Amino acid sequence: MFTSGAFERLCRARDLLRELPDEPLSIRAVAKEVGMSPFHFIRRFQALFGETPHQARIQSRLDRAKQLLALSDRSVTDVCLDVGFTSLGSFSDLFARRVGSCPSAYRRHVRSLMPASGVLPEALTPGCLTLMGAAFATFEKPRDAASSDAGTQEDA
Amino acid sequence: MRIKLTSIMVDDQDKALKIYTEVFGFVKKHEIPVGQYRWLTVVSPDGPGDVELSLEPNANPAGRAFQEAMFKQGIPIAAFEVDDIDTEWTRLKGHGVVFVQDPARMGPVSIAVCSDTCGNLVQIYQPAAARSA
Repeated sequence: MFTSGAFERLCRARDLLRELPDEPLSIRAVAKEVGMSPFHFIRRFQALFGETPHQARIQSRLDRAKQLLALSDRSVTDVCLDVGFTSLGSFSDLFARRVGSCPSAYRRHVRSLMPASGVLPEALTPGCLTLMGAAFATFEKPRDAASSDAGTQEDA
Repeated sequence: MRIKLTSIMVDDQDKALKIYTEVFGFVKKHEIPVGQYRWLTVVSPDGPGDVELSLEPNANPAGRAFQEAMFKQGIPIAAFEVDDIDTEWTRLKGHGVVFVQDPARMGPVSIAVCSDTCGNLVQIYQPAAARSA
């Protein structure tokens, strides 16, 4: 069992991994900060959060980049630096691999879906019930089409 | 009026489906693509007509903030009933599940709390009736 102390330290480590100081802590330094050996730190972090500390850091940076691309006017280069990457090329490659499109294409796509400036589109912030509605709507289409045809005939 | 559906936010639907089926032992009921996400639900093999649990992406920053705050406070966000908590605890630990609370009596029920590795703490509990049965 994780003691409450170990649990709290791992939660703190996750916060540290997400911080963006000028000189980000290495994974080894984060482990030291929370009083664990690097080996135990990585193993326990992964058991608790389902991803390694490195994966957690990268995911957090990509999530922040997506937010900035959607909601700010920062250039792609600035976004890259803002979220802690130092090379635009490796940022763009990683972003494209994980998100499915390069940062500028992602920005254009999201902006085209936005209901208003600064408001995240529903397609990117789906709730349980909006997903259910959209999922079942795909089954309902043929029936809707049939019933609207019937309606048209009745009207005629 | 009936209660047939509830949801839990997860950081990755693929990972969640694997854990909720292969580790917790639920079975997939719906998996329908919706844009980059899916309408994804699981049910208990012991009660396929019971409540469906939707594995909902935590993509909404507001939802994620809530999820992370609850996690940090050590508060489970869902609870699953089991017949024998010690057996389940042993079985889940065998799958590498980590517990932040081992089985303990809380009045008439026994509870334990583990991480689902998708951003949540979940509780398993054995009700008093099952214990005496």
